Amino acid sequence: MIDLLGYGAFFLSTALIFGLVTLGLNLQWGLTGLFNVGIAGFVAIGAYSSAILTTPDTADRIGGFGWPILAGWGAAALITAAAAAFTGYATLRLKSDYLAITTFGVAVVVQLVALNAQGLTGGPFGVAFIPRPFAGVQDQSVLFNFANVAVIAAVTLAVYLALERLSRSPWGRVLRALREDERAAIALGKSAQSYRIQAFAVGGAVMGLAGAVQAHFIGFIAPENYLPTLTFQVWAMLMVGGSGSNRGALLGAIVVWAIWVGSGSFTAAIVPADLQARAASLQIVAIGVMLCLILLWRPQGFFGSGRRTK
Amino acid sequence: MTILQVNGLVAGYEPGLSIVKGASIHAAEAEIVVILGPNGAGKSSLIKAIAGLVPITAGQVLLDGHDITAVPAHLKIRQGLAFVPQTENIFPLMTVEENLHVAGGILPRAEVAPRIAEMFETFPDLARQRALMAGSLSGGQRQMLAVARALIVRPRVLMLDEPSAGLSPKLVEQVFARLSEIRQAGLTIVLVEQNARAALAIGDRAYVLVEGREAHEGPAKTLWDNPLIAELYLGHRKDAS
Amino acid sequence: MSLQFLLDGLIAGAMIGLGAIGVTLTYSILRFSNFAHGDFMAWGAYAALAVVGAIGGSLPMAPLSFGWPLVLAMIVAMGLTALLALGLDWVLFARLRARGQSIIVVMASFGASMALRSLLEFMFTSRPTYFSRAIQIAQPVGLGIRVTADQVALLLLTLALVIGMHLFMQRSQRGREMRAYSQNPALARVVGIDVAKVVRATWIIGAALACASGVMVGVLVQIRPLMGLDLLLPIFAAAILGGIGSVPGAVLGGLIIGLSEAAAVQFVGAEWRAAVAFVILMAVLLVRPMGLFGVAER
Repeated sequence: MIDLLGYGAFFLSTALIFGLVTLGLNLQWGLTGLFNVGIAGFVAIGAYSSAILTTPDTADRIGGFGWPILAGWGAAALITAAAAAFTGYATLRLKSDYLAITTFGVAVVVQLVALNAQGLTGGPFGVAFIPRPFAGVQDQSVLFNFANVAVIAAVTLAVYLALERLSRSPWGRVLRALREDERAAIALGKSAQSYRIQAFAVGGAVMGLAGAVQAHFIGFIAPENYLPTLTFQVWAMLMVGGSGSNRGALLGAIVVWAIWVGSGSFTAAIVPADLQARAASLQIVAIGVMLCLILLWRPQGFFGSGRRTK
Repeated sequence: MTILQVNGLVAGYEPGLSIVKGASIHAAEAEIVVILGPNGAGKSSLIKAIAGLVPITAGQVLLDGHDITAVPAHLKIRQGLAFVPQTENIFPLMTVEENLHVAGGILPRAEVAPRIAEMFETFPDLARQRALMAGSLSGGQRQMLAVARALIVRPRVLMLDEPSAGLSPKLVEQVFARLSEIRQAGLTIVLVEQNARAALAIGDRAYVLVEGREAHEGPAKTLWDNPLIAELYLGHRKDAS
Repeated sequence: MSLQFLLDGLIAGAMIGLGAIGVTLTYSILRFSNFAHGDFMAWGAYAALAVVGAIGGSLPMAPLSFGWPLVLAMIVAMGLTALLALGLDWVLFARLRARGQSIIVVMASFGASMALRSLLEFMFTSRPTYFSRAIQIAQPVGLGIRVTADQVALLLLTLALVIGMHLFMQRSQRGREMRAYSQNPALARVVGIDVAKVVRATWIIGAALACASGVMVGVLVQIRPLMGLDLLLPIFAAAILGGIGSVPGAVLGGLIIGLSEAAAVQFVGAEWRAAVAFVILMAVLLVRPMGLFGVAER
């Protein structure tokens, strides 16, 4: 029973972190219509930034500044926002496809830096000993898990409320107008581009923050945490939840993560060990097919407001 | 004999937002029919709808007695209905000759080269510029290329959307003189125009379109003097920019 | 300093260029960037592998590492890859295109790409495989460059395909129709061009060339489910560098990227190879977004 509760808390923590990323994507795509295929890259930037700034001094790696965790989180959000802003600046005056291609490239390059810039990122071994909040109660696993889920839930709630406010603010209304009315975008001209860059940067900041929170929750990061599958999962979460709705984004994250974990343990239980890797790839096939089916049949998502995505 | 007959056409880009609201027009063999009207009256949408580029929600388009309302745009030219849009009516990154060649694609293969040669005979200016990119042509020459491109497949009806737009008065005169000549060969021309004076000068019959349907029909020569029409047409025209 | 990297770059550039032709055509005619294009390469390579397996053994045509079964298999696989692309268009892309939101089509291609790739992993596992495990002897050709017979054969194949493509686009009626449609879809319909045929031709050509490129990678490097994903960024970068819609531009863009990658491997380090395409992409987008042969957006 205690184990189950602990596991529930662990599951919820992971799902809420995914929820945070999905909230960031919802601001970019759901509200502003900006297509980001490099989510994994932006999450990684946040995770590595905070990890490098908060870990204790190490011999073979730059960093180890020993910053407080919250400072690391803030810096992670800022650095990721800057990376997103630059990506937006380079591409948003061009066709929307160019943003997609460039974000894809960002993810490739971030993965490359994570793997190869050993002096900065620890290379394939990643960064370990990232300070965890409530490390003092780490051996009381239930208490520790609950403390963590409480912190993550608090962060998620704060971001959720902030995004809700933002989307109702004049700023959010401009974004929506830009998305739905090409004439508004043309009328705003150059400042339309600047609004889009802002939205992309703020969305990036949320993703970076999510990456940082996850890094401190697990205490260890490595390049293989940030493969294209992550990007793909987050898209599936947003599409299931319904793009445009922050509540949908969170719900979608929890539902898709539950399906993911559930189908994972199901296949682990029934598939022989030597075929597990293959079964895992079928899981991705299923999500890919699901994403396409949603686009075909229910572009507003399952929990969406029913508003057409246009 | 009536060759093009349009009955109660309703058309628009979005459902529920009709721009053409029950227009009926017709054109006889070797006739030049001019369609006038204030800005926003739906003139351009009317011929685009006839050409198959604006979705039709009600009404009928008959070509030589055959119902071609639902025929997709790319097959209408095969039925003999040619259309020259107002802008972007050439392929700018293809040579003059390639523009004619690609349009000649619906002809039997053996006829394409002779037809291109005939077009170059009819439009000697184009012949001199056959290897130039169409996008580098001047406005008048573009218009000529667009007309030649439409004529190459020997259509029965040629519809033009404001061929005078953006041209100097002298060029307008030349283009319209050309259209007159083409009609001599037996082609029916449907001409949507903002430049009423020039169009009525070569036209046989004219319609005035107001708010998506024809408000007046009459011989082109007398239309200009009709006080009712002058008021209606010019009045609206002054409002619009 | 060895000039070998020039040859390596040329070969990498040929593979990237063949892929970029498909991407540039899909973009300029179907108006979306197809993230599944790399997976057409991988599927093409595996299809050729399967066909070779079905045909059975045969002695290689010395000095090449492969025999006529691979030649035949590549032709069959090009057809199969084209069928895959047409099928995907029929069930997915065409339906979404009809709704007129190109970015949704991009997203669908992203989902399809993930599914296609993982399906290959499911069927063939992620372990690399090879058409032939024979070791080829590279012959010196001067300036310190050594080249294998396979490399020469496949460079010639690329040259033939590129020249053939260029002639097709310039001289054939379908090629002219494809160019016309990419310049002005509405006018293309007015002049009687059947859009369905243009779309079909675009998929067939793009997929067949992707397959050829995938087989080349398979012969010269190895076959892996991720091979297409790894080439996707260089391919996109090459298409944009060359100017969207330009076939010669795509090939030239591919060669520039291939040579730059090889230079980076030589002078910076092999581990940074994959970053080259991104650096070039960013430079193009910031300095000359229409690319080398592109025209400004209408």
